[in-house]
Amino acid sequence: MDLLEFARGPALQFAALVLVAGTLWRIVGIAFLGKKPDYSEPRGPGGLGAALKVIWTRAFTAEPFKKATLYPKIMAYVMHIGLFATIFLFTPHIVFFEGWMGLDWPGLPNNVIYFIGVATVVSGFALIIRRATSPVLKLISNFDDYFSWFVTMLPLVTGLLIPVRALFRYEDLLAIHILSVALLLIWLPFGKLGHTFLVFMTRGTTGMVFERRGAKT
Amino acid sequence: MTTVDGRHTIDREAERIAYKPPEVRHDKQGDMSTEERVEMAMRHFVKNFNTQTASYLDGCLHCGMCADACHYHVRTDDPRYTPIWKIELFKQAYKREVGPFAFFYRLFGFKKKVTVEQLEEWQHLLYDSCTVCGRCSLVCPMGIDIAGMVSMARHGMFKAGLIPHELHETAKKAAETGSPLGVTPEKFEERLEWMADEHEVDIPLNVEKADVLAVMSSIEIQKYPESMAATAKILNAAGESWTFRTDGYEATNFGMLSGNVEWQKEASMKLIDTAIKIGAKRLVLPECGHAYMAMRWMGANMYGKPLPFTVQHISEYLAEALNEGRIKVRKVDKSVTYHDPCQVSRRGGATQAARDVLKHLGVDFREMPNGGDYNWCCGGGGGVVTIKRADELRHRVFKLKMDQVESTEADELLSSCANCRQSFDDSQQHFNWSYKMGSLLETVAENLEEGKA
Amino acid sequence: MKYRPTVGEILQAKGVSRRGFLKYCATTASLLALPPSMIPRIANAIESARRPSVIWLSFQECTGCTESLTRSASPTVEGLIFDAISLDYHHTLQAASGDQAEAARHAAMEENDGSYLVLVDGSIPTGNPGYSTIAGISNVDMLMDTVKGAAAVVAIGSCAAFGGLPGADPNPTGAVSVQDLVTDKPVVNVPGCPPIPMVMTAVLAQFLTFGQIPDLDKHGRPLAFFGNTIHDRCYRRPFYEQGKFAETFDDEGAKAGWCLYKLGCKGPTTYNACATVKWNQGTSFPIESGHPCLGCSEPKFWDKGGFYQPLSTGHFGSGATVAGAAVAGVALGAVAAAAGRRRKAKYTKEA
Repeated sequence: MDLLEFARGPALQFAALVLVAGTLWRIVGIAFLGKKPDYSEPRGPGGLGAALKVIWTRAFTAEPFKKATLYPKIMAYVMHIGLFATIFLFTPHIVFFEGWMGLDWPGLPNNVIYFIGVATVVSGFALIIRRATSPVLKLISNFDDYFSWFVTMLPLVTGLLIPVRALFRYEDLLAIHILSVALLLIWLPFGKLGHTFLVFMTRGTTGMVFERRGAKT
Repeated sequence: MTTVDGRHTIDREAERIAYKPPEVRHDKQGDMSTEERVEMAMRHFVKNFNTQTASYLDGCLHCGMCADACHYHVRTDDPRYTPIWKIELFKQAYKREVGPFAFFYRLFGFKKKVTVEQLEEWQHLLYDSCTVCGRCSLVCPMGIDIAGMVSMARHGMFKAGLIPHELHETAKKAAETGSPLGVTPEKFEERLEWMADEHEVDIPLNVEKADVLAVMSSIEIQKYPESMAATAKILNAAGESWTFRTDGYEATNFGMLSGNVEWQKEASMKLIDTAIKIGAKRLVLPECGHAYMAMRWMGANMYGKPLPFTVQHISEYLAEALNEGRIKVRKVDKSVTYHDPCQVSRRGGATQAARDVLKHLGVDFREMPNGGDYNWCCGGGGGVVTIKRADELRHRVFKLKMDQVESTEADELLSSCANCRQSFDDSQQHFNWSYKMGSLLETVAENLEEGKA
Repeated sequence: MKYRPTVGEILQAKGVSRRGFLKYCATTASLLALPPSMIPRIANAIESARRPSVIWLSFQECTGCTESLTRSASPTVEGLIFDAISLDYHHTLQAASGDQAEAARHAAMEENDGSYLVLVDGSIPTGNPGYSTIAGISNVDMLMDTVKGAAAVVAIGSCAAFGGLPGADPNPTGAVSVQDLVTDKPVVNVPGCPPIPMVMTAVLAQFLTFGQIPDLDKHGRPLAFFGNTIHDRCYRRPFYEQGKFAETFDDEGAKAGWCLYKLGCKGPTTYNACATVKWNQGTSFPIESGHPCLGCSEPKFWDKGGFYQPLSTGHFGSGATVAGAAVAGVALGAVAAAAGRRRKAKYTKEA
């Protein structure tokens, strides 16, 4: 078995299993902690609708905070949109998802994806430089922040090396790329990258509590 | 370790009512060993870890944006005032004790045990430099309610005996005498009589059965007694069957502010029991922000089931009475800006009420820039105004509030919280500022059209 | 020892023009990435070379490699050069058979001890020696016996180079490649199913010219021919970058000649010269005729998923394991939560 076969076979399979198990572990571990009922008289609706509302609205910055958070917000938007596009709109990836789920959708031209990928990497560096220099971020950052950044950037960088055939041969680059994805999937449920699913819980919870009060969300 | 005696004289001359600065500070309470303090802090942190707090504590991305929403950080640039950093120990305890991967955190020591030195350091962050205003909760891209967790973290701090001297004394006094300022039922009655005479208003007291139970905050009773008369005038004019009660009048809740859940419950239950006893349909809270949080949103949970009556902030009551035409007001030809008490507006959801009232008053209402739900805090909430050593910092952050108010160029500044009012008075004196905060309630009472509509 | 004409003499006798021969030499030079100044040296070397002795062993194979060389539409220079070498033993091509044939092999080995080349097509079964025998000799024995005095071994085709079809999962005969068995002689792999004829003779030309084997990649393939992927040299590559893909074999994209990636083309991971040298005297190659590359010159190409499965498809198993992981995750979460609740209850009670 060569490296590529290992990467897209056992490695990816193992990563997928860890991803599924780890994600459920964390979600269930949090959800089953339980919560006391809220007996206060509600002012507004506090159910699923409220949760969904805030899951959506908190994706945008409220006017009073726009100026102060402009730079990291723009970088974070580029990062997230870039990750979405490179992961889900790159044809070889779509083909991967199609092979896995049987669904496919139109992609973007590869050159466009390469451009987005570079922009995403740039935003990633902008964010990590900010993290390493801002007094606030220096204080509150830990290993998780840097390692999560690393495992997120790795697939992007290795992915971008493939079209330029840098450092290694295509199949090795592809194998390294897939292995880096496997690393990302393995780490995702355990560190702060868990926000891919926790965001629904945190925003949803706030939506349910504060919409119920009729307070600002 | 010294136990604080709790005997301090009230400083009636100061622009805010509080105890005189202690000669010797006792920011550690009780005779506990270092290990015991840590143990108590842990236990009372852990009690708060449920699905809601767990998802918050697990979800933080360390993006640091909350720093940009916090008046303490904005004014000082001190990274320690980053809101999420203020609950770092609480978070540390969660990850180590209860989180989904707690086992590994303990096994590999990824998160160390909290130390008493840390707890002492964090006393400044959890009390002196957080008013629980919740502005940070609105900027968080993950939607984490940081302010709510500051309140919870205080539970552990209190039990560890590590809270600021004055706040402890105030809370203790409240637990012992029923009022943080030592307003006994006799004293309350006395001051009510005085106001009734002064304003020639009928103030019902200790009525057996009434639809509305009105309550007051000690700050008002002691420093802004006009509020009592104003409340009476309005409830009379609205034709309510209402009463004050000497067995349940104190709306403030220093148990909540200091982090003592038992005291918080005692204070809340006093009002709840009284309201139930007189068969009240409605409990009207005074102009006090944290009283609203304590009773409107936490009261029923202290009671353990839905309350058999409605809880309203006085501004909500005013808005309702005016909207329904049960009271009428004369037009006020002035420009007015309004300071939203954090616990009533941003965190309480009653933002619109005050605006309705101001509309009825016909004033030229000037919203502050980034006002309403995004208002800068007065700097005195969350018990901060009682802490003497926090004064310098409090005045420093008040600058934001001053700029916000001044930019409206309004004739008058109104609000609806006695705690905000004393913070404003104190800072007004400190800066010799031109604005003096007025009370929404008193303004309505002054402009009440006599004779029921 | 009988007279051996030079290759040049043989080509001349067969009517190959000087012009045609030099053209072949030029092509070879360019294929081997040699400067044009090397062309005369190649020409000279080939022309003056004594017919080298070559023993061709065929094991578990389909004769496709031999066909590729010998059944071109019209005689080619490379075919003729192939003819010109002394095929002392090739049991498909030679007239002799049985003991006579084996005697020829032994004679060639003795006569040219230390200088002859061994060309092998087909894989070697290691399971039961009886799976494949020639003249009662098992393939392994024949190979090991023959390579003893060889100067070098060339594994022709993917079976000899990598095990090929016989070696594909589940490999019932225990088929292995030449390089798995021959470790003390230089082995050059010329994989492909079949290999490009030009590539086969170019390797021989190189050997004749320089007396040594060419630079090889990690799979023992001459870098000159296997240094680039089909994808990198493919004329349809621009469509890949533009995101223009044929979705089926008869859609508009297929008709327009768009990229065949989604139809399973293995061009990106396949190192071979098809896209540049092409087949049938440079006429075409599979992608040009509308079919995705199968990756036939790569090790284990039979076992790398379906031919029509796109390259980026993951090769992981069933949903059952995922469901198992999900159940494990929920269980771990429940245990963690229960532990957390227990701590909470304990602390609340003690508090």
